[in-house]
Amino acid sequence: MKKNARKRDFIERSLIGILSFLKGSLFAEEHALKSGFMQSLDPRIKILTFAIFIIATLLAKSILLVLSLYLLCLFLACISKINLGFFLKRTWVFIPLFSLFIALPALFSNFTPGEELFSFKFAGLALVITRPGGLTVLLFVLRVATTVSFAVLLSITTRNFELLRVLRIFRIPQAFVMVLGICYRYIYLFIGVIENTYFAIKSRVGTAMRYKRGQQIVGWNIAFLWVRSYQLNEDVYKAMLSRGYSGEPQVLNNFRSGLRDWLWLIFVGVIGICIIRFFH
Amino acid sequence: MHIPDGYLGPGTCGVFYLIMLPIWTIASRIVKRTLNARQVPLLAIGAAFSFVIMMFNIPIPGGTTGHAVGGVLVAILLGPWAACIAITVALVIQALLFGDGGITAIGANCFNLAFVLPFAGYYIYKTISYKTPISSRRRVIAAGIAGYLALNIAAGLTGLMFGIQPLLYKTANGRALYCPYGLNIALPVMLGEHLLVFGWVEAIVTALAIKYLQKHSPELLAEGRRIE
Repeated sequence: MKKNARKRDFIERSLIGILSFLKGSLFAEEHALKSGFMQSLDPRIKILTFAIFIIATLLAKSILLVLSLYLLCLFLACISKINLGFFLKRTWVFIPLFSLFIALPALFSNFTPGEELFSFKFAGLALVITRPGGLTVLLFVLRVATTVSFAVLLSITTRNFELLRVLRIFRIPQAFVMVLGICYRYIYLFIGVIENTYFAIKSRVGTAMRYKRGQQIVGWNIAFLWVRSYQLNEDVYKAMLSRGYSGEPQVLNNFRSGLRDWLWLIFVGVIGICIIRFFH
Repeated sequence: MHIPDGYLGPGTCGVFYLIMLPIWTIASRIVKRTLNARQVPLLAIGAAFSFVIMMFNIPIPGGTTGHAVGGVLVAILLGPWAACIAITVALVIQALLFGDGGITAIGANCFNLAFVLPFAGYYIYKTISYKTPISSRRRVIAAGIAGYLALNIAAGLTGLMFGIQPLLYKTANGRALYCPYGLNIALPVMLGEHLLVFGWVEAIVTALAIKYLQKHSPELLAEGRRIE
């Protein structure tokens, strides 16, 4: 029974994935609208400072330094009125936990030889955890968790359209500028289309199906999503024309930065410079 | 296949940004030159399409599921240069808005998934399908083979990137600073899982999508539809 339930559920898994993805995104906008510290910063300065934080985390060689940056990230989340439980769950699931899982073998002497820390027997095999192995895994997982935490904090404290608009202000080639702006909106539309199609299939099928049939359904869905995309292209183009599109995209730049933004940039810049000096 | 931040050292990340800069510039110029105003939304919709392809769970034997990357399919439908832009945009949105794939690793991820994958896949598809008619069964097989081979080439390169990290970055006493596994582990692991599982998922999705388009909307597979 349990086995059958597991087998039949590729549509349900997709639906759950898509729904949770949608909810997560909406939730993220909810955080960006709060009146916390990060939300009050000019998005241009915020992106710049988060880039410094992420690069500094990448350059840091010491576990203590990476741990300090991680704690700073948690502190920034707190003063930005982000629930710590939500933030830890959002950042640790999936990438850092997956990284921990794949880094685990590096704990053992077979992969990282060195001074013995701890040894035990498992299924008749003598396994030895080494000190260099432990330090390697700790630094690796902590670094991944810190960079993911900074990236997630940036995305949840900034409204999505602002984040993309900041990218458009920098000197990015025009083709990318146009594509970014339109693409973001259609991701949500397509997720809705997929969701409705899967609901329709599930309501008609209602029972277990063989994996080959499932693969055919997915192939059909992807192909028809493209057909719909192509049809949509014409409508979008007409909508763009009706709004005054003349072949050149217009980028709005109404960001304002104040004293607090500049002080924050100087503070983060000093941290970055210190870490780069330390790195060298 | 999406490399998160912290797996690659700063030098490797920088090198792949430098490699991708001229590729993005050329892609942008070629697409701007050949794109007519009507196709502008198509490129953006193509980017959204390449983003959502990864959300389709595909059932595989044993009751589990996997997902395709879709890079080869997008390249067959849009052309390789337009696919490069579309997949880059999808990867940037994934990294910035959803924290999937590293920000410092965008250059490396784009090299594997927005350059190597669509270009290798597109030219393998074009070579095998040669000048056969749009409705030919050979095109379905070509799409499948292109999906399988291109994904494995990209996976091999990802394994290579991981594997050289312990050689490039280590502490004075030899501890790895980034990805802890050398080429002898990273390369076979990355290639093994893609040769055995994910390559087949990519092949099935690419071939089936082309088969259905042949049957219901063959005009979308015509050469002139691509942005080249």
